[in-house]
Amino acid sequence: MKKKRNVKEMVEKLLAGDRRTAARLITLVENEMEEQHEVMKEIYPHTGQAMILGITGAGGAGKSTLTDHLIKNFREQGKTVGVAVVDPSSPFSGGAFLGDRIRLQKHFLDDGVYIRSMASRGHLGGLSRATYDVIRIMEAMGMDVVIVETLGAGQDEIDIIHIANTCLLVATPGMGDDIQAMKAGIMEIADIIVLNKADLDGADKSLRHLQGALSIVCPEEGKWMPKIVPTVSVASKPVDLKGIDELVAAISEHQEYLQESRAIDQVKFERTEQELGLIFKDELQKLIFKGLRGTGKKRKYINSIIEGRDDPYSVVEEVLEKYLVTK
Amino acid sequence: MAKKRNIKVLVSKVGLDGHARGAKVVSSLLKEAGMEVIYLGMFHMPENIVKAAMDEDVDVIGLSYLSGEHLIFTPKIVEEMRKHKLDDVLLIAGGTFPAEDIPTMEEMGIDKIFRAGSLTDDFVQYIKDNVKKR
Amino acid sequence: MDQTNLAEKENTCKTSWDDYLKAYYEKPSSLKSWSGYDLKEIYTPADRPEENYEKDVADAGTYPFTRGIHANMFRGRLWTKREVVGIGSPADTHARLKYLSEQGGSGLNTIADVTYEMGLDADHPWAVNEVGLTGVNITSIKDMETLTKDIPLDKVSWSLITASTAAPVTMAQYIAVAEDRGYKLDALRGSIQNDPIHFRYCGFRPACPLDLSIKLGSDVMEFCTEKMRKWYYTTVNMYDLREQGINAPQEVAFGFGIAMCYIDELIRRGLDIDDFAPRFTFYVSCHMDIFEEVAKIRAARRMWARLLKDKYGAKDPRSMQFRFAVHTAGCSLIPQQPLNNIVRIAYEALTAVLGGVQSLHCCSYDEPMCLPSEKAHLQALRTQQILAYETGVTNVADPLGGSYYVESLTDKMEEESLKIMKQVEDLGGMEEAIRTESLDRQCESEAIKRQKELDNGEKLSVGVNVFTEKQEKTTPLGVQRVSAKSAKQQIEEVKELKRTRNMKKLRDAIKCLRDDVGAGKNTIPAMIEATRAFGTTGELLGTVREVFGYPYDPMETLESPFN
Repeated sequence: MKKKRNVKEMVEKLLAGDRRTAARLITLVENEMEEQHEVMKEIYPHTGQAMILGITGAGGAGKSTLTDHLIKNFREQGKTVGVAVVDPSSPFSGGAFLGDRIRLQKHFLDDGVYIRSMASRGHLGGLSRATYDVIRIMEAMGMDVVIVETLGAGQDEIDIIHIANTCLLVATPGMGDDIQAMKAGIMEIADIIVLNKADLDGADKSLRHLQGALSIVCPEEGKWMPKIVPTVSVASKPVDLKGIDELVAAISEHQEYLQESRAIDQVKFERTEQELGLIFKDELQKLIFKGLRGTGKKRKYINSIIEGRDDPYSVVEEVLEKYLVTK
Repeated sequence: MAKKRNIKVLVSKVGLDGHARGAKVVSSLLKEAGMEVIYLGMFHMPENIVKAAMDEDVDVIGLSYLSGEHLIFTPKIVEEMRKHKLDDVLLIAGGTFPAEDIPTMEEMGIDKIFRAGSLTDDFVQYIKDNVKKR
Repeated sequence: MDQTNLAEKENTCKTSWDDYLKAYYEKPSSLKSWSGYDLKEIYTPADRPEENYEKDVADAGTYPFTRGIHANMFRGRLWTKREVVGIGSPADTHARLKYLSEQGGSGLNTIADVTYEMGLDADHPWAVNEVGLTGVNITSIKDMETLTKDIPLDKVSWSLITASTAAPVTMAQYIAVAEDRGYKLDALRGSIQNDPIHFRYCGFRPACPLDLSIKLGSDVMEFCTEKMRKWYYTTVNMYDLREQGINAPQEVAFGFGIAMCYIDELIRRGLDIDDFAPRFTFYVSCHMDIFEEVAKIRAARRMWARLLKDKYGAKDPRSMQFRFAVHTAGCSLIPQQPLNNIVRIAYEALTAVLGGVQSLHCCSYDEPMCLPSEKAHLQALRTQQILAYETGVTNVADPLGGSYYVESLTDKMEEESLKIMKQVEDLGGMEEAIRTESLDRQCESEAIKRQKELDNGEKLSVGVNVFTEKQEKTTPLGVQRVSAKSAKQQIEEVKELKRTRNMKKLRDAIKCLRDDVGAGKNTIPAMIEATRAFGTTGELLGTVREVFGYPYDPMETLESPFN
């Protein structure tokens, strides 16, 4: 038997800003260990105050270098910054290459920065329930800003808007067709569209495409109109970097909008709704399978479906009635 | 019920040594073997490596040494790990060393050394078998 | 041993006798070349139906030089036996140089350590741990004086291995010392590696941004073209690229791509191709596949001749000659059963000579364990001497020429290399391929392939995946250690120099250097003066870096003391 961890003590240490404890707690929620609920219950009252910034985009778009510049900028403003970088797990081996730490290494020794790499571990949509918990843990340890960086591959771009106060979508020139394809959903995704690598050939054309996509949208009176910010986040000389200050300004502007228009309330509502939904889904499944354990019924249900005597929908209805609704 | 634990490994070069081919190859192969790998890259001092390992809560630190710097940096890394109480982290090293230095490095606190010419199965299996209990 | 024991022993050996039978009928495990090309059972005239000897092959010494750059090859002069030396302090390195030259080495060859290549002085916080670990640290002109002490610089041929943007500093330090001792510049013979572009792939990216690499690399080339007619001003290092894991045709293609970056810049500066191209040299790897490596070298000679003639309009045949040194493949050596490395090195050295090499460094057998010990160094030199004096390989030019197999493989190497060069061109040229990290990705994926070939037995390596033995406890011939005392002394001397030098004089010299860089002039003359004023490696390079918009210190730790 493993020694049970002292949750109260750990959370106290976390609230005092202890990094080692934060690291351990994140592992604990990532691995869905048994103390997860207790931990999150203790932590929850100490969360909700941080600005949560989502950054998504295709691999190689420059998300991590943008994150690097944003960290530097927030630090100069005296803010502490937590960063959660989510990388995909290989569907074959389950392994993951969390490689972008290289770009963030300048901040390693800064106690005001806490960076954590996470593997998506097979969660479709990149952002798992653990991501919510990790954000909470970073808030509880005292981070003023939490940046969540994910590889945009469709679904997670949608996910991240629920998790973040401000959502950045990073595009690059030469994504031509992708940008066209994005047109439809582009408004739902991003508060700010970053056209990174704006020094490359074709940047002007891509910028026009993006502007074109936005021009057909007429937001309701008083609603946020997404901004496009061209940037150059990688250059061997500092003087060749472009658009970082503009990006920071756009983020502030969006934050002000959220506060003044009270749109922040809607963001928080939607985030909590999704979080609640995710937890319900996970816990219900666990509860039901736990209830069936040892009864031999799970196997029976599955076999009856395979053999065509039953279907999953009928089984779910039956189980829900038996074990939940009637209870 | 807790999920199966994924092994998390941090791979780093130490100091100025730029021979990164091995570290990169090993990182990729560990990923293929189902581990979650953070490749830290080049130019790290011991404090850097250990702090990243602590924040990331890794199970394994893998150091790559190819410039004869192993006897200089190893004690510093072990010392940093002690300072941060990373006593349940497996510390392994790969690269070029004379046979005579292997016992010395083990005494300093490296759990296992893989010299150039090691096969993937050797280090993957070693890690799987020896990751410390938490 | 009594009878029962013997019988018992025979019994327990049963399985190994089965192995014996298997060994008797054994066939080669791979029918591919090292780079992965399928090979036929035998090659015949039918494999080269279009052969045009005069046009594609020709005698040695005749365009396109496929068979060698000199008509009589080694009958005219043996290759230079040049063992790389670099260890601890300048004084330690000097001692080893002297030792090897007393043992019959015919060229001096010194290599910079990681701190020097990164452009860091010995007292830099990032350098102090690693001074002298992988070569020699030269922080000031005083170190160059120590290194070259009592050596007649007009009589020896000295190869200075500084590859990074520190190469112009090395050149300035060498020139200053030589001139101060009364040597004329055009009497100096030797070479400097000076290939900062390739060095970004060897872990020196902070010191080798692309524009600065082209600027400073070309400064050395331009200066030497004008003032040092006997000096080879670059050795484009395809060897280091190969060590990243790429295959033979990639080695040639990427090496030529980098060479063209420098040539284009020199032409842009107004130099005539025939004025500078004859002093262009290459550093080539010789790996374990004997015939493929010879074919690679022969193909490279043919391709270089055609490239210089057709693309750059060279008229002087010397411009079209592919001159090269060989470094036997360090990455083919392993620490398991280390004496076997002597055999590997000997085969690779043989390959280099069959390929018509100009200058050869044999790795020492202890390369995968430590810096070369004195005995191992001597052993490497003896390997060259046995090859040169006992085997008869020096008698005839291009002894493998005309082999159906080698000629056909030469064509294949050329075809594959040209294909890769075309791909690079389609990416927008070499500079673009570098900038977009396309080369990085190719190196990485090839390196993984190499490891998998060993893992799955596609390639065999004795001691790694076949005929393995228990790990040995000691290194035969002993371990070379770098003296911590030497390193400490080197650091102290640098600190002392910085305390005692004339700062006014130095400031003026640094200002001249800064002005020259700003005005787009060649940096070498101002570097020579700044080094005479005891400006250090880090200070000279930092000054140039700042003008180019880079942080003074590649490690971004120190600020310029001159601002």
